[in-house]
Parts: sequence; C-alpha cells; structure tokens
Amino acid sequence: MSIADTWRRLRRGPWRVAVAEESMTPALEPGDWLLLDPAPRRWPRRGSVVVVRQPGTGQLAIKRLAAGPGDVVLAGTEYVKLGDEAWLLGDGGGHSVDSRHYGPVPLDALVGRAWFRYWPPRRIGLIPRRRASSARARASIASKGKLRK
Amino acid sequence: MSLVTHWLKPTTTVYAHCDVPCGIYDPHQAELAARTVARMVELLGQLPKENPTEADRQKFVRCVAVKEQHAEIVKHEIQVIWSDYFKPEHLERYPDIHDRTWKILKLASKNKQNIDAQAAAELEAAVKEFADIFWSTKK
Repeated sequence: MSIADTWRRLRRGPWRVAVAEESMTPALEPGDWLLLDPAPRRWPRRGSVVVVRQPGTGQLAIKRLAAGPGDVVLAGTEYVKLGDEAWLLGDGGGHSVDSRHYGPVPLDALVGRAWFRYWPPRRIGLIPRRRASSARARASIASKGKLRK
Repeated sequence: MSLVTHWLKPTTTVYAHCDVPCGIYDPHQAELAARTVARMVELLGQLPKENPTEADRQKFVRCVAVKEQHAEIVKHEIQVIWSDYFKPEHLERYPDIHDRTWKILKLASKNKQNIDAQAAAELEAAVKEFADIFWSTKK
C-alpha cells in the first residue's frame, strides 16, 4: 500500500476516537482513546472491535463483531444467515444496545476497526480479538447445524 | 493546549451504548407505572356491572391491558434498580431490600391477575417506599 493510499484512507474517516459509556467494559473503558483502521473494505475477523454507524440513529457505536458474512445467528426467534452483514454485540452482558436491538449491520455502516489503545498510559496496547463474551452472546450465535433442521 | 496534546486528542467519540444510560437510575418510571395500575383499577370500578355497551366493553379491555402492561413495567424497573443499582453497602444500611423487591414483584403479579383496589394501593405504597430508599442512598 502506497503512502498516498494510506493518507487517503486516514482522511476518509476518523482514526482517533474516544470511548463513551460502558457496554464494552472491561475490554474498553469510557475515556479510552483508540486508534482505528479507517475505511476497511470488508468486515474484519470475528472477535474484532469495530466502529459502525448505528442503524436508525446514525450515531457512532463501538461493538464487538460476534459473527460476520456467512455466519448463522439467532435473531430474535429465527436463524438468519448473514449476507454482507455483521452481528455486533457489546461485551457487557445484557445491557448493551446492539444487534439484538437493531439486527445485522450492513457493510456500508462500517466505519473502522479499533486496533490500538493509546490512552490511558497504563493500558496502552493492541486491542485483542476475542469471543463475544456474555452468555447471551454465545447463545445468540448459532451453529450452522441448527439452520439445516 | 500544546501541539502534542492537540494531535493526540481523539477527533470523535464512539459510544458503547447501554440500555440504561450508564449509572443513571430512576425509580420514577416504576412509581408512574404503579400509579397507572391504580388508576386503571379505579376506572375499571367505574364501569357498569350490568348491561355494558359496546363502548364499555372496549374500555374494559383497554383498561385491563394497560393495567397489565404497567404492572409489568413496575416489575422490570424495580428489578433493574435492584440488580444493577443496589450494592452491598446499600444492603448493609437497608437489609430488607431483597425482601421489599420480592414483595413488590409479587404485588405487581397480583395486580396483573386481579382487579383489586387494595392490591393496587399496596403496590403504589411499596414502590413509593422503594423509591424513598433509592433516593436516600443518593444523599
């Protein structure tokens, strides 16, 4: 990737963001400052932390990518196979406003992937990918076997 | 502000939204819902017992539906404050919080099952006491 290309990508979207509210604790705390990989062309891998324009409100939301294109999720009462969409969940158990409220998120709502925390100093470091952690999150990601029934 | 901090500072805020605006709890919703339950019971009592018209029947159904919805709202709101807001130190000051919560939930269910002015009044009073405890922990 050329320097000019990188520069263009950085110009396209925000790349330094501050976290507000608590649905991503303890992975991300309110007040954390993060670097984004802006304007990705496709969904990152499962377990990544992404910033999206929240469907409905258009506000920037930060959530964990629980399932991506091709995965099957339990949306409400039915199983849905995701197209070019992702199923996003907060880490904070039952209280997060996420795909359980607004459903799968289309690719064009994706703003960036959060990859590094640069503030506060004692928690500087890469943001690890991990499984969406709450029990409900696990329950809502269905195995592919279930769809065939 | 120095140039360095200016460069470091994020340009954008991203929200890790919660359904309870985090750390903000208010029993007001529960009180309002309990009041609504009582009011619905009152309205139901005013309906004619014999030879109801079409309009009376419609009003009856609506009042029952609203009563049940709001009793459910009471249960939900009280449970959120109980499980998410109250901490062990509150429990030390008010050891009866669990018992009170349990009784409110039971009372709310009783109000769903019956049209009972006595139960509605008890629910309203119990929720009011719960709210008073909540506010006293804020002082």
